Amino acid sequence: MKNMKPVWRGLVLLALGGALGYFLGLGLDALVSGSANFTAPLAGFFSLVVSVTGFFFGLVGYRGVTRGLVFQIIGTLAGGFFVTGLRALMGLKTFGPFFFTEPAWVVGGLVGTLSFLAGVGALTDWFKWALGESTPEHHTDEPGWQKYFNVSLDHKVIGVQYTITSIAVLGFGGIFALIFRTELAASQLQFLTTTFQAFDQNGLQFYNTLMSLHGMLMIVSILLGIAGVMNYLIPMLIGAQDMAFPRLNAFSFWIAVPAAVLLLSALFLGGFDTGWTGYPPLSTRSPLGVQMFFLGVFIAGWSSILGALNLIATVARMRARGMTAFRLPIFAWAAIATSIISLTATQLIGLSFQLVMFQRLLGMGFFDPAKGGNPVLFQHLFWFYSHPAVYVFVLPGLGVISELLPVFVRKPLFGYRWVAMSSLGIALVGFLVWAHHMFTSGMNEYLRVPFMYSTLLVAVPTGVKFFSWVATLWQGKISTPTPMLFVLGGIVVFLMGGLSGPPNATVSTDLHLHDTYFIVGHFHDTMFGGYIFPFFAAIYYWFPKATGRRMSEKLGKLHFWLMTPSFLVLTFAMMRVGLLGMRRRIADYDPALGFDLSHLIMTVAAYLIFTSVVIFLYNFFHSMKHGEQAEGNLWNSRSPEWQVPSPMPVHNYDHAFQVVGEPYDYGLEGSKYVEFIKHK
Amino acid sequence: MRHFVIVAILVLVMSTLTYLGLDSSGLLPVQASEQAVPVDWLFNLQFITISFLFSLIIVPLVYSLVVFRRRPGETGDGKHFEGNTALEITWTAIPLFIVMGFAYLGAYSLGETRRVDPQAMVVNVTAQQFAWTFEYPDTGVVSSVLYLPEGKQALLKMTSRDVIHSFWVPEFRIKQDILPGRTTEYRITPTRVGDYKLRCAELCGTSHAYMLADVKVVSRADFDAWMAARAEEARAAADTPEGRGKTLVTQNGCLGCHSLDGTRGTGPTWFGLYGSQVSLSDGTTVTADEAFIAESILQPQAKFVAGYETIQMPVYQFTDEQIADIIAFIKTVK
Amino acid sequence: MAHTDQKTALNQGAIIFIFLAVLTALEFFIAVAMDAVALLILVALVKAGLVVYYYMHIYRLNDEDGDDHETYAYKTGTNRVGLWLFLLSDAFVFGGLAVARFNLLGLTRPHLSQELGLLVTAVLLVSSFFMNRAEVSMEHGDRRGFLVSTAITLLLGVAFLAGVVGVEWPGAIHEGVTPSSSAAGAIFFMMTGMHAFHVLTGVIFLLVILRNGARGLYSAEKHWGVEAATVYWHFVDVVWIFFYPALYLIGSAI
Repeated sequence: MKNMKPVWRGLVLLALGGALGYFLGLGLDALVSGSANFTAPLAGFFSLVVSVTGFFFGLVGYRGVTRGLVFQIIGTLAGGFFVTGLRALMGLKTFGPFFFTEPAWVVGGLVGTLSFLAGVGALTDWFKWALGESTPEHHTDEPGWQKYFNVSLDHKVIGVQYTITSIAVLGFGGIFALIFRTELAASQLQFLTTTFQAFDQNGLQFYNTLMSLHGMLMIVSILLGIAGVMNYLIPMLIGAQDMAFPRLNAFSFWIAVPAAVLLLSALFLGGFDTGWTGYPPLSTRSPLGVQMFFLGVFIAGWSSILGALNLIATVARMRARGMTAFRLPIFAWAAIATSIISLTATQLIGLSFQLVMFQRLLGMGFFDPAKGGNPVLFQHLFWFYSHPAVYVFVLPGLGVISELLPVFVRKPLFGYRWVAMSSLGIALVGFLVWAHHMFTSGMNEYLRVPFMYSTLLVAVPTGVKFFSWVATLWQGKISTPTPMLFVLGGIVVFLMGGLSGPPNATVSTDLHLHDTYFIVGHFHDTMFGGYIFPFFAAIYYWFPKATGRRMSEKLGKLHFWLMTPSFLVLTFAMMRVGLLGMRRRIADYDPALGFDLSHLIMTVAAYLIFTSVVIFLYNFFHSMKHGEQAEGNLWNSRSPEWQVPSPMPVHNYDHAFQVVGEPYDYGLEGSKYVEFIKHK
Repeated sequence: MRHFVIVAILVLVMSTLTYLGLDSSGLLPVQASEQAVPVDWLFNLQFITISFLFSLIIVPLVYSLVVFRRRPGETGDGKHFEGNTALEITWTAIPLFIVMGFAYLGAYSLGETRRVDPQAMVVNVTAQQFAWTFEYPDTGVVSSVLYLPEGKQALLKMTSRDVIHSFWVPEFRIKQDILPGRTTEYRITPTRVGDYKLRCAELCGTSHAYMLADVKVVSRADFDAWMAARAEEARAAADTPEGRGKTLVTQNGCLGCHSLDGTRGTGPTWFGLYGSQVSLSDGTTVTADEAFIAESILQPQAKFVAGYETIQMPVYQFTDEQIADIIAFIKTVK
Repeated sequence: MAHTDQKTALNQGAIIFIFLAVLTALEFFIAVAMDAVALLILVALVKAGLVVYYYMHIYRLNDEDGDDHETYAYKTGTNRVGLWLFLLSDAFVFGGLAVARFNLLGLTRPHLSQELGLLVTAVLLVSSFFMNRAEVSMEHGDRRGFLVSTAITLLLGVAFLAGVVGVEWPGAIHEGVTPSSSAAGAIFFMMTGMHAFHVLTGVIFLLVILRNGARGLYSAEKHWGVEAATVYWHFVDVVWIFFYPALYLIGSAI
């Protein structure tokens, strides 16, 4: 084992840990229930946590993330047994089909999360401060790749940690999607049948769990991905050494890891059948998994809130000299607009989920009509975040598009101020549109028309962005390396998403479209166009900055040309069957509807997208070590980060810079954006 | 200037082709209600606008990529212009007017779908995991198939026994959620005789995909005949215990979960249930006699049949006679 | 830091406290005497405004900190931005709870002990007065004054917690208002519980600054920890300024 490469050692321990955890869980479950259940929820849960811990143990040894995970497991069990003990004393039920009872799992999950943070070391400095000790302003990271698995305060390291975690979560979400997409390839149930049994779920229940988790995992992945890109780029683009609060920054990242573990554990602990929206009363009657899901989202929400707080403070306080509001990189505007939403609105999804958790745990009747509660209230609280959240997802992506277009068109961004303001405009109008998800919900009827007006207003600033992009392209000198291809792909796909929006906004047509595959197609278009494509563009574009090497152009282009057409076919087919009567969130559809061929096409397209992402992953990891050297200003950009060597020095700029011109004055002879101050 | 003229022509051509393409590919299901007319009218307007805006962006984008591409060996930058305020105002203002126009039309067509006919026929709809029950209060007839007369507005008063469901017949277009603890209303005027499917559109649990009901739109004469036959049947059934039991289990949606033919549903099947040996979740076995069945109906959480531990059956309030009737009916299911 | 002498600043704090006390009494009488929801909301807004301006010093966000990003003053300014952003975020939780309360209960409220409600409100208000004294003392380098006032604030905070969780909750449960009895009970326990959780974290924060203050870690120039604890404590008071009428005064008891 000693001589193996760390990755292989990790994978071996992943397998061993999986088996060990499985038998451990099986044994404990058998001890309590008296019979061996080979797909016992507890066996799945332990298999997950022990294998992940084993993987990191093999990779980096017992420190950083490994220590955190070990602490999380111990903390979860400690919290669980504590509550179980209390219940035993009070004469309540102690163990159930999921080993612990529901309150024990919830408390265990919370204690586990805090234990993770303590174990990984994200709280150490704060504890020292509370005890009156002082800590160094910066901690020096060890050289080499191991630093990425420990707590680091460097925003670039944290940015990479976020991005890698995001891709890992994206992988889980994607594989879940492939599993249920395969089931949907033909009508009737093929393998997720009613006789299928796993983790206390039959095939239909398992389908619902996968579908619900796909939604939330993708959302978490996107939140981590934008946090990664913003963390990595913002201090660099505005000339700061680091984020305003580096410890909070590390905390925001690390709290997302136990959240992801909790979310995944929902799959094993009975699953849940509510979709990512978790509407009560259904979610108050779902199995235990829904609690782990709520808890995971609640904790991931804190990652998002605190990350946004940090980002706003950074842009407000840490800019280079001369960087006035309208000389900020356009991406910074997008990041601010996004952060305003995640800072505030995220609390409401946290609250709405908390209320359901309490309703389940203590019988509190917030959403129970029998007790005077109101199920529609949940939808208001939930959508107050969850609609603006889509702008959280897409605004940074649209910012990346606006940031990269001028570089590859060699022309200024057309109407910089309008583009900057359109981001804020979308964010602010975004706060006023939530109830358009509830046109059929039975809420007060008179609310429908005002919410239709506000929703349609979103089209105006979005239109400004599209027209400005096209005007930027007009009469440029356009080159199309891989990042630019993804930028263009993003524009086209987001256009499809944008244009399919208004039929959902006008109430009467939405009464037909609501909860159909049309909506599924519409938002996959907006998510891919607004996030996935720009995210890939950003990775291809800034990868050389982070590693000093560039990714293969050939594989990059293959990735693009495989993914884009497949994706357009996929979502177009989704919208078409949706219009014709295909409901969302169903494991099976009526063969009489004649959708079999469409679904087969969608499944094939999904597999092609998956293949293209595998190509990307190979390109990504292979190029880290073997990519072509790229040290200088590879894309001939005016932005400050490209004026210094790659990879970026630890504290970013050895010499501070001041802003002396407009950011995107390509084509203007002798103009400069930044000037480095030679003496410090 | 030449570029602009070419692009303008291409945009017009492309818009037309896109719209014709969309229009000919049959995007909507058959139109089967009066309320679908204003909805489809607005859909059509949307498709026209979408085709135009799609072309307005895609054509100059692709045109730029082709005409303004960097040719091999070319260096240097594009033309330096930073923006044009008049243009920005134009493409802010015009879309603003367009979307406000759409909002107005949206409100207008919504109003059209909500026209009230005071003579509407009331149907009480009860939704529950995973079944629909329709009651015609004028005659007291209860059915699991929704019969509607052609050309007459029906007012559906809908409520749910458990979670949120949603009433949707794609051919009728409009959709309305059904909530526990309150009544939501849905007005529909079928215009086309035929068989349709009612599909629950709000995720409601494990078997959401199968929460369907048949909807039959028939001529008024056929409707009256059907109603009379049903009413007669109900009168006849009321004379025997198993007949009353059958009415009760239909009314209360029991058959949504408990099958009569032995297939596994959300709850255990009733096929051959009476007198059989039932394994419970605690490992014991009981005989399904009157006492056991009565307890299972009135206190569903008291004992769990093995394999159904996680299912929460609703609690029903039945009188002793009603329980006896239901058991009489269950005895006949074999 | 200090532009005024300690005595003037303390007097200003006392005057604000008197205003707040009078307004609290006023709102109690408004609630007893008439049915004027708008007036109650107005009084709460005035009280909150006074606390946010005079006790939490929101205007300090506007302080000029110079160009050098490495000074203590500049870093404190950045910390201040961070703290206020956090409070803004947290305010959405309480706002959401208030929305839930009015959505579910409208102009009715759970049946609760009025005397106890007024008492705990008074305790929290007095604690804010002492919290302000503690901060003013530290700003003027008066460590003893700071320690005494912080200790009193801390005790009052614990008294508030004891009043709500130890007396009010069992009392309500005894009266039949339990978490699972009705939506009104659920809302009452959720709102007071969420607020009490914040008071508890504030108490822990006060313990930390009390201990570190006793060890001489703060000075008139460098006391960001004290400022942060102060602003947070007052924020928790502001939340109660809205929750008190929402739970005890507005609408009719059921």
